[in-house]
Amino acid sequence: MVSDADYKAAVEFLYMEARLADEARYAEWLALWTDDGVYWVPAITDSEIDPEQHISHIYDNRARIDTRVKLLLTGHRYSQVPASVMRRLISNVEVEAGDNGELVAGSNFILAELSIQAKHEMHWWVGRTTHRLRRVDGALRMSRKKVVLINAAEPLPNLAFLI
Amino acid sequence: MTLDSMDSVMPSSLLDYKALVRDDRIHASLYTDPRIFEDEMERIFYRGWVFVGHDSEVPQPGDFITRSIGTQSVIMARDQDGHITVLVNRCAHRGTMVCTAPRGHARVFACPYHGWTYDLSGALLGVPYPGGYASFDKSTRSLTRVPRVESYRGFVFASFSETGASLSEHLGNATRLIDRSADLSPEGQIELSAGWVKHRCAANWKMLPENDSDGYHLGFVHLALFKTVRNAQYQRVVGDERAIKAVVRDWGNGHIEIDWSPGYEKPFEWLGSASGPTVDSYVALMEQRYGVETTRQRIMQGPAHALIFPNLFLGETNIAIVQPISVEECVHWHTPMFWKGAPQFNSRLLRMAEAGMGPASFLMPEDLVVAGRNQLGLHAKSVEWLELSRGLGREHVDADGRRVSHVTDETTSRGLWQHYRTVMSG
Repeated sequence: MVSDADYKAAVEFLYMEARLADEARYAEWLALWTDDGVYWVPAITDSEIDPEQHISHIYDNRARIDTRVKLLLTGHRYSQVPASVMRRLISNVEVEAGDNGELVAGSNFILAELSIQAKHEMHWWVGRTTHRLRRVDGALRMSRKKVVLINAAEPLPNLAFLI
Repeated sequence: MTLDSMDSVMPSSLLDYKALVRDDRIHASLYTDPRIFEDEMERIFYRGWVFVGHDSEVPQPGDFITRSIGTQSVIMARDQDGHITVLVNRCAHRGTMVCTAPRGHARVFACPYHGWTYDLSGALLGVPYPGGYASFDKSTRSLTRVPRVESYRGFVFASFSETGASLSEHLGNATRLIDRSADLSPEGQIELSAGWVKHRCAANWKMLPENDSDGYHLGFVHLALFKTVRNAQYQRVVGDERAIKAVVRDWGNGHIEIDWSPGYEKPFEWLGSASGPTVDSYVALMEQRYGVETTRQRIMQGPAHALIFPNLFLGETNIAIVQPISVEECVHWHTPMFWKGAPQFNSRLLRMAEAGMGPASFLMPEDLVVAGRNQLGLHAKSVEWLELSRGLGREHVDADGRRVSHVTDETTSRGLWQHYRTVMSG
């Protein structure tokens, strides 16, 4: 259990992070990470999966999160030129106390992505996210974000936006 | 009957592939006509040799994976005797798909509909309530076995045709491309154990092998990456046309290659110029097994970047499969290639696979969005042809009979299409 204040702070963080990702505000989104951040999107839904043995869609350390965002900021990441039009809903938020004062927030999401780079198609992305949130200089930052898509192991279209 | 519906039932054997595939151009309908897709399934995927899986994916008796040959679902299993069989994933009784798991371990395959059971080699074991059949020869109701299954260095290929060229005739000298990748293992074997990522592509399947072996697009489609990551491997493939040393090769039978290695100056450039104790211990193992000179050559050259016709892509440190779905949709599968005896590289190989291929990677999303735009553009009915002449004036045939040219030349695509024309006209 966490305090109401911590729960509220975690939920507000999740909403803000979702909005920055939806609106392709890449630099602001990048600033939400701690220096040791890990961004993980497994390629299979099995919760026991080890990213050192099994391939993932994304398993970025902080340097690679930077590269991912830099690519988008070049304006030549053609799979996101123009950026997909997106909105995601976040629900079923559960917040627990983690190690070293971190908050661990689990949440479900449904993301509607209008992919407008080639054929204009609507893609639905659904899954559960686990954020580890740490206070850095008084503000919450992500030290880890794991996104388990319900269809992680199925053929997926481009996932070059920030999930 | 309307003209449209007549068109859709017109026998596709009337299509003249020699007219559609010219030496220097190809017709747009090859990417958009559903009749041509049906012909391709029949003539390329159900007559010829098709890559199914690697034997390291089914290491123990009872292990199986499900894959596709063309648009047909198949099971590749290792039976109790250790033999690999490829079975059509369809119950002999009512046609139910017997197995829907991507991989697993089983003693029998049991159909969920009426409980017919089969062993791992496809033989029918049991039928519930057998009294309902007056006479019943179980041996005629097996799961259909794909008649020819052969492998080369663990790469398992299958053919629905009982006769025709052997696998070794189909592969020809291109076995050397497979060797180039597998020989980087200190034990001479690769292992595909990391699972597969599947990337959906809204384009005709042939765009994937063409793009995988196209050295012309890199500095344009992947401009974001070249602007962001400045390592030696990337920088050698863009820049002044005359300074680029990499080449393309057509090995015949539709097998085509990009060889970056003429541009490499140091060992392991293909591995992001890896160095340190991990690399040193690997080099020591390799030298022990193969000697100093051979090892030096292998770590300079790196693995192959080549298409084995029609659906296996040796993607340097990755293995990829091209799966056709319909005339305007396909799936690109990939997994990192682990080298048996060198597990210290697995973590690096995983991270390289995630950076290079798949829907969230730093390369393939651009390739597939451009493929999707190709597919849209090709519906322009007033323009019929795609240009395929780049490098015709400067390619040459080397001492091994391979056609070779500058890495940006369309020698690879022409090699693919010339073989395609032969197979489709047959």
